[in-house]
Amino acid sequence: MNIAVCVKQIPDPAAPWSLDPSTHNLVREGKLILDDSDAYGVEMALQLVDKAGAGEVTLVSMAPRNETSGLRTGLAMGAAKAILVTDDQLAGSDALSTAKVLAAAIATTEFDLVIAATESTDGYTGTTPVQIAELLGLPSVSFAKKVEIDGSVVKVDRQTEAGYDEVICPLPALVTVTAGVVEPRYPSFKGIMSAKSKPVVTLSLADLGLVGAAGGAVAGQEIVSVQKAEARQAGVIVEDDGTGAQQLVEYLEQLKFV
Amino acid sequence: MDFRETEDHSALRKAVGDIADQFGSDYYVAHAESRTPTTDLWKRLGELGYLGINLPEEYGGGGAGMTELTIVCEETAAHGNPLLLLLVSAAISGEVITEFGSDAQRSRWLPSLADGSSKVVFAITEPDAGSNSHRISTTAVKDGDGYLISGQKYYISGVDEADAILVVTKTGTDSAGRAKMSLFVVDADAPGLTRQHLPVSVTLPEKQFTLYFDNVRVGNDRLIGTEGDGFKQIFQGLNPERITGAAICVGIGRFALERAAAYANNRTVWGASIGTHQGVSHALAKSKIEIELAALMTMKAAWLHDQGEPAGDASNMAKYAAAEAAIGAIDAAIQVHGGNGLSTEMGLLPYWGLARLLRIAPVSREMILNHVAQHSLGLPRSY
Repeated sequence: MNIAVCVKQIPDPAAPWSLDPSTHNLVREGKLILDDSDAYGVEMALQLVDKAGAGEVTLVSMAPRNETSGLRTGLAMGAAKAILVTDDQLAGSDALSTAKVLAAAIATTEFDLVIAATESTDGYTGTTPVQIAELLGLPSVSFAKKVEIDGSVVKVDRQTEAGYDEVICPLPALVTVTAGVVEPRYPSFKGIMSAKSKPVVTLSLADLGLVGAAGGAVAGQEIVSVQKAEARQAGVIVEDDGTGAQQLVEYLEQLKFV
Repeated sequence: MDFRETEDHSALRKAVGDIADQFGSDYYVAHAESRTPTTDLWKRLGELGYLGINLPEEYGGGGAGMTELTIVCEETAAHGNPLLLLLVSAAISGEVITEFGSDAQRSRWLPSLADGSSKVVFAITEPDAGSNSHRISTTAVKDGDGYLISGQKYYISGVDEADAILVVTKTGTDSAGRAKMSLFVVDADAPGLTRQHLPVSVTLPEKQFTLYFDNVRVGNDRLIGTEGDGFKQIFQGLNPERITGAAICVGIGRFALERAAAYANNRTVWGASIGTHQGVSHALAKSKIEIELAALMTMKAAWLHDQGEPAGDASNMAKYAAAEAAIGAIDAAIQVHGGNGLSTEMGLLPYWGLARLLRIAPVSREMILNHVAQHSLGLPRSY
């Protein structure tokens, strides 16, 4: 069981983010870290490979400046190797470009299953994984809250608004996992130390044969303008003159909460 | 000179900080208030290889050094979970047994220290021999194929959590009348050894004990290294103890300043956040500078120890600077919080207590000043 996991390296959410004033793209100047939402996919993949008893987990990422800090976190957790696509022409890529790049990178390795998060914590488009599946000609199952391999199929409990669907899908396939799927492990010290000797293959657009087919120059979308989110209204202040409880109930009734 | 942190060290900081965050400062404060050990955190760090990070790989350790143990001490504290017993179990006992223990002793103790399943605490202080270790009176007398240990120790941390105690004994006297010391690993439940809880008013998860040794028999296999070499052996452990003590202080300082800055930014009294007022901001800025300086000296001391260079001066200075800076930072943080700073809910007082303890232990501020005056400045010995 070989599993490719798409991981995104994003600016640290603990530090304030900013948008480039001309392109409106997220500024990715500083150190990048593994997107927390991808830690679930890495953990799921590690558990599935462990259960299968053979195979390995490969991380696949696209990031500027040969950035590997986030990849090292995944390697420290236990992934065997990583593929990083880095190319100046990728600045300003849209989701489809990203999907083309990741699909081409995934195609360079052997895999039975591709796992991705449902969406990234910085971009939130949530469209890249299914685009990758389409480009690779794979069936895809999104919003998995439970994943099991059974011979040549993957069994997925797929989160829905009403509950969950039980989906059985032939391999190879692509599955996107939610944050509840498994609890990501903390890297051990040995994991951290071994991560630096694990292979990270760096590829350019030319290596993938995608020059002119992916990147900022061919992006099909443009961020025309950005506006600050409206400040929230102050809400309703109930002065308690003895009828406070009654007023609260009426307010909740009005909103059909009670 | 290169002050950039390596990727390994950054990853180590993040991993340890994340683990401590999972438990949170509330976890520490609740255990400090109820005086119960933070066992779950200790075990988690052990399982993941962070407690034995400085111990040799062949005995289950991480094969790294004091620099890495310093990071573990600092990050757990900076994320609200200072671990006092790292000073004795990982730093002193781990280093001494690694350096001077036999293969059999290393195999017996180090793997369980490394994975957190066991602790070996350290007993040197006596009622009549505090900072002057030469005056210890706990004796080990040769008896058949072993030794009999008798005497009393006090302020020994964590005996209730430990499987064994590294005990400093007197096995003779040199021509100057000073104790010739020998170190033994004594089982915490050895017949003839009794312990009595020594209450302290500092709120800590770890407890302190008085130990009474009444002809406690130990085999020759419990003597560390050569009889009479104890003083030299202790010195191998004391610098790590000071360095890790300093690291905990740096962590407490970082924790305090983060909490204080968050509060000062949010708390509004007269239409502006109280952080606007220099009476508040300067106190925190001053502490920030002092913590950063202490952190630098702490890392230098750890580096010197790892290089096998003399680390005594740097370890002492780091411990002095870090304890003073931590007390300053947590005191400033409490002050910024006003009355809230004393509330149980805010949970700041336990950190003040630990920082205050670390001005006294493992070596007092005054003994460090004596050392610096004498050894760094060439002033006359004061005692």
